[in-house]
Amino acid sequence: MKQQQNKPKTMPIDIRAPRSTLRAGRAVTLLILCFLLGMGYLSYVLITESPMYMAKSGKTTYGVVYDRTGDVLFDGTKPLTDYPSGQFADVGNFIGDTSGQMTNTLVAKNLTALANYSFTAGIHGTASLQTTLSHSANQAAYKALGSKNGTIIACNWKTGELLVCVSKPCVDIAKGYADIASMPNGSLLCKAFYPMVPGSTQKVSTLIAAYETLGVKTVNDIEYSCEGSWLNANGQRIKCHRSEGHGHQTLAEAFANSCNPFFAQLVQSEQLPLTSIIEVYQRMGYSVNKSAAENYSLDGISIAPASTVLTDDTDFDTQWGCLGQGETLVSPYQLMLWQTAVANGTGTAILPYAVEACTSAEGKMVQVGKTTRTPQLFSVSAAKAVQEVMIANAENHYYVSLPDYNCGVKSGTAQVTDNGREYENSLLVGFCLDETCPVAFCILIEERTSKDISTAQVAKALLNALSAAE
Amino acid sequence: MTEFFQNGQNLGELLSVFIVVFVDFCALMILLAAGRERKRGDEIWAKEAKGYMLSEHGTIYPLGAAEIIIGRHPSADIRFSDKEISRFHAILTLSDGRWHIEDLGSGSGTYVNGVRIKTPRTLHRDDEIRIGRRSLRVIKGNGKVVSQ
Amino acid sequence: MNKRPVSHPILMFLILIAHSAMLLLVILTLGFSAEAVKLTCAVLAADFVGSMILSLVHRQACTVDMVLLLVLGMSTIYQSCFGGVHFAAKHYIFGILAFIACQLSYLLVRNPIRAEKMKPFWYGAFFVLVGAIFFLTGERGIWIDLGFITIQPSEFVKPVFVLICASSISTQLRKKTFLGIHYVPDNLAMLGCTAVIVVLQWWCRDLGSLPTFLAVAGFGIVFRFFYLREKMSLRFVIFLCACACVVCVVALKFAPDYVQDRLHSDIWADMEGHGYQQCHALTAIAEGGWFGKGAGGGLLHRVFASDTDIVFSSICEEWGLFSGILTVVLVLFLPASVLTVPPRSYYHAGLAAGVASVFVVQMALNIFGSCNIIPFTGVTIPFISQGGSSMLSSGILAGFLKAAQAPVLTTKDGRKKAAERGKQSA
Repeated sequence: MKQQQNKPKTMPIDIRAPRSTLRAGRAVTLLILCFLLGMGYLSYVLITESPMYMAKSGKTTYGVVYDRTGDVLFDGTKPLTDYPSGQFADVGNFIGDTSGQMTNTLVAKNLTALANYSFTAGIHGTASLQTTLSHSANQAAYKALGSKNGTIIACNWKTGELLVCVSKPCVDIAKGYADIASMPNGSLLCKAFYPMVPGSTQKVSTLIAAYETLGVKTVNDIEYSCEGSWLNANGQRIKCHRSEGHGHQTLAEAFANSCNPFFAQLVQSEQLPLTSIIEVYQRMGYSVNKSAAENYSLDGISIAPASTVLTDDTDFDTQWGCLGQGETLVSPYQLMLWQTAVANGTGTAILPYAVEACTSAEGKMVQVGKTTRTPQLFSVSAAKAVQEVMIANAENHYYVSLPDYNCGVKSGTAQVTDNGREYENSLLVGFCLDETCPVAFCILIEERTSKDISTAQVAKALLNALSAAE
Repeated sequence: MTEFFQNGQNLGELLSVFIVVFVDFCALMILLAAGRERKRGDEIWAKEAKGYMLSEHGTIYPLGAAEIIIGRHPSADIRFSDKEISRFHAILTLSDGRWHIEDLGSGSGTYVNGVRIKTPRTLHRDDEIRIGRRSLRVIKGNGKVVSQ
Repeated sequence: MNKRPVSHPILMFLILIAHSAMLLLVILTLGFSAEAVKLTCAVLAADFVGSMILSLVHRQACTVDMVLLLVLGMSTIYQSCFGGVHFAAKHYIFGILAFIACQLSYLLVRNPIRAEKMKPFWYGAFFVLVGAIFFLTGERGIWIDLGFITIQPSEFVKPVFVLICASSISTQLRKKTFLGIHYVPDNLAMLGCTAVIVVLQWWCRDLGSLPTFLAVAGFGIVFRFFYLREKMSLRFVIFLCACACVVCVVALKFAPDYVQDRLHSDIWADMEGHGYQQCHALTAIAEGGWFGKGAGGGLLHRVFASDTDIVFSSICEEWGLFSGILTVVLVLFLPASVLTVPPRSYYHAGLAAGVASVFVVQMALNIFGSCNIIPFTGVTIPFISQGGSSMLSSGILAGFLKAAQAPVLTTKDGRKKAAERGKQSA
């Protein structure tokens, strides 16, 4: 019966594999998919990072760094000696080169962006960096320093564009490093990024701390007198730079006079506890008593944060720390950074940038420079009050030297002991509020004596050059 | 001539593109061949397994691997959710061209042609396997091979 | 039944053309030389003879053989051209031996029932190899120096371990009871072997190949303990992945110092030290671009292990990233062949998964390691890297894949008996 039923029909042979063995296929698929995903990721990484590999291993050529007008600041495509002599003398230790002699420079930190390489085309074409620097202003600032060494850094406090960054003595990258042994000390690094004794420019920070803690009105009403020197609670003597003293002063007067006894009394006063000074300092970016502080960087160039040691507000060293001596060290970059926060009257600083745009070797341009604000460093009212005090200072004491500009400034003199040698550095921090020249700056002249050019004269030259360049 | 080619870098690049494309093509052909191979592999398996299948009232249970578990467990190859059937009830194995059935210590037992099996038993065409209430018949296909 | 795969000769022809094109490129860029002629003859002859033998002997599972022929020829050409043409005779000979090993291991394990019955023999081989590593390699190393040749026994442990980790369902159902606990002896043996491997690799400080063994063991465990018992839900897969991650994290935490160093060091900050190989490997890929510098044009051969640990970069430098990826994908074709022809027994399925994990994990460790995505370890890419032991063991593993695609369940005895039965019934 059955055979009769089955015979005429053809029964297809169903041999579908059971789930148990198909699982092997699933496992293998999963493995292979994971691996292929990995390969995809690898290819992506290789293609995007390959300029970095080439730059790090030095197997590529490099492109050109331009200033804001298209003037050449570095050229990796041809010998630098082809350019007029002195073309690179002013910004050599900031822009740097590909020799590897300087590591904390714009070129050294942006080698990848400057590599004339792309994965598709290999070593081909010319990459470039368009910077915000004004070469003419840099040259003018460098020239203004004359025979003195020092550093000048200036940026637009509205946008953060870095306009000038000069550090003298400076290596001429066109001349190479054959005579590296005979180069003056500091030729190979840009001093604007390294902490140094701030002198009385520190009083800006101390004033901000006072405004932040006590409020603008209370601080402006504070009056102390100065008889040339002052004995603190520990019986230590704080001397004023004017031995006959300044007499009875208001805060604005004392700020303009840069009166040390006045500010020492302010630091010691019970109204202004040390803890709140420390708190404001730390908010502003100081590393107080080795606390952690933010490391700023400018297009990859690393900048050591400001630092100080404050232990006891009746102590000599702590008081001097708040007056810009003692253990206090601040980089000109950071002094300028605070000025941007004062100039814009908001208490948030504008982070400077130097690279406006990168053009890859294939010719693709990427805008990288953008205005970035720091978090609130101090309050708006403190910023506005400090701005007023600094403008008053400029109007009363610097009208002769800076007549054409609506400026606010604070000068400082830093006593430096270097290898047993003592000398004084002259500093000037400030800002210009003019629409044509919205600049925050910090100027440092090393070992300045009264016969030498003043910081105010350099500031004038700087502002003139920047206004002309605009 | 060699020099000419050494200088003509583009030609070298062209040739390497050609190689890449060609090896890709080669790989594709191998894949196609693998597809054909699958058919052949299926036929060979059908022969090895003698074309046997299990059938229950017209429902076909394929025997597509050398070991087939019948049971209630989700991972069993032939799965029945009846209560009387153990999780792993019986196993069908293929060796030397013959299918064997073995009881896996089930509660209700496995019967072949009405006889409860204690030891592995060889299956023949038209044998009747009874598991719980289920009755599975060993049938032999003679048509074309279905594998998907 | 008597239909032969039509595409077989066509495939061989295509492989011949692919190799010829590569050889032509070599000759065009590097010029005629005795070495180039030797290389050309050797590769083409191997193709020809290989295809002849294949068409005569097996008619099944040609995918594996074809891919193997293609890959071995390509890798011989690659290996012969690093930094100028010089026929890589050793690589070539071991390539042929690997091909033969593939056929032999296929014959050995094509019957899953017999292969599993031989398990005691695999355990024996495992312990012989482990003993060899333990006693014969000098100073806790991984090499046995026989004077004329050095053998790396840990490479041969891989296929044996794959054979041990695979298991059939019948074996899993054969439980024993001890003190009221049910257990499967085979599973215990496998876990024991895994433990031995882990301890041994730790002892001889060869942590590079540990992930390979762990992956094989992992698949073994998944196939035995979980697949058979539980439905694989997505949640369960995620749980397994999480477990794997935890194991990785713990392993890394307790890894020896030199492994930690590699994990946390920036290779570009140490270009002349620890990062030397990787930096050069990455730069070589960057220099090669999509289409490479041309055969023999690379400079990476000056770097240590350019033909083994960083062979991917060497290929990419001379032949381009395209060719590099293509080669890797071709090697992947071997385990992927399981997807086209599904295995017909659980033991073969386990073998296929084991082999796939060995191949994929080794390639991943080698390529991603040399490219600084994961820590750099000294493992080889199957069939591509220079190295006799690795080549042979990869060949054996490929044989397992072949077996999974063309299983034979009839033994000689069985055939005889069937014939007798046929006579009797007649």
